Amino acid sequence: MTRLNDEHLKKVERALTEAHRSRQEPSLGADWTLRVMRDIRREAAGQGQSMITLGLERLVWRTAAVAAVLALVFTGSVLFYINQDAVELTALLSNEVDVMVPLSE
Amino acid sequence: MPGYVVAGCLDLMGVQTLVSDDLEIIRRVLHGEVDRFAELIVRYQQHVTRIANRHVPSDRVAEVAHDVFVRAYTSLSSFSGQTPFEHWLSGVAVRTCYDFWRARRREELPVSALTTEHQAWMDHVLAAESDDQFREQARRQEAAELLQWALGHLSAENRLVLTLVHLDGYSVREAAGLLGWSVVNVKVRAHRARQMLRTLLLERKRQEDDTTQ
Repeated sequence: MTRLNDEHLKKVERALTEAHRSRQEPSLGADWTLRVMRDIRREAAGQGQSMITLGLERLVWRTAAVAAVLALVFTGSVLFYINQDAVELTALLSNEVDVMVPLSE
Repeated sequence: MPGYVVAGCLDLMGVQTLVSDDLEIIRRVLHGEVDRFAELIVRYQQHVTRIANRHVPSDRVAEVAHDVFVRAYTSLSSFSGQTPFEHWLSGVAVRTCYDFWRARRREELPVSALTTEHQAWMDHVLAAESDDQFREQARRQEAAELLQWALGHLSAENRLVLTLVHLDGYSVREAAGLLGWSVVNVKVRAHRARQMLRTLLLERKRQEDDTTQ
């Protein structure tokens, strides 16, 4: 029976490290690679499907972005022309008032 | 030119050929030739098995190695080619082992109990005077089981860092690269995990001494 001091602990740790490094490697079996490849092909097929979905999704979002930009440009131009019309209308009205004033005198 | 220089050059050329060959296979796989991935599996299955065997129980190595290659395939587009494929694959393997232990902790499987033989093993190791006696003890089944018992008490993070840094002998920087963690994180965890292992061993020894007295 030994009380563990630092040196003892280091010795046990070294033995555990040695035990860890000398682990036997298990064999994977004859059809292991085939099973991995089967799963990978399944993943690839799934990825193909998701690529189509992803492509559609991207198209929808890009179209949405373009539509939003067009809507903004249209709204901006409408506002711009309405403002311009309002200025012109005011000018026209004020002009008309100016013209009308001498007539009443 | 000396023979060892020629051999060194040939080795280097061999490695470079392998790396460029890997890149060509990866390029083809990414362009839809999925079956070419089998060449990478054959080439690196021993490397991946070796890593998995150091981190997970022997009866789960095949399953984890399987997951490593499926994961490598699904994230193949993230492989930049700046480091060799083998190195990148090592990172995938280590992180898959980490996920294995994280999932296992959630299952909360019981940690195997130790017998009097495991407890006596420590005394035999300490009593070993020659290197041969010491190695003989280290090769005993009890050594591996005691290690698994101790690792079973650690969190997935501490377990992995302890295995990489203290048992496998990777530098802190290398371990950080494999795990994708910061160097400081790995350094702190490596120190903490080693202290935990020591505390576990000390407690185990104390309990053993108390029962024999």
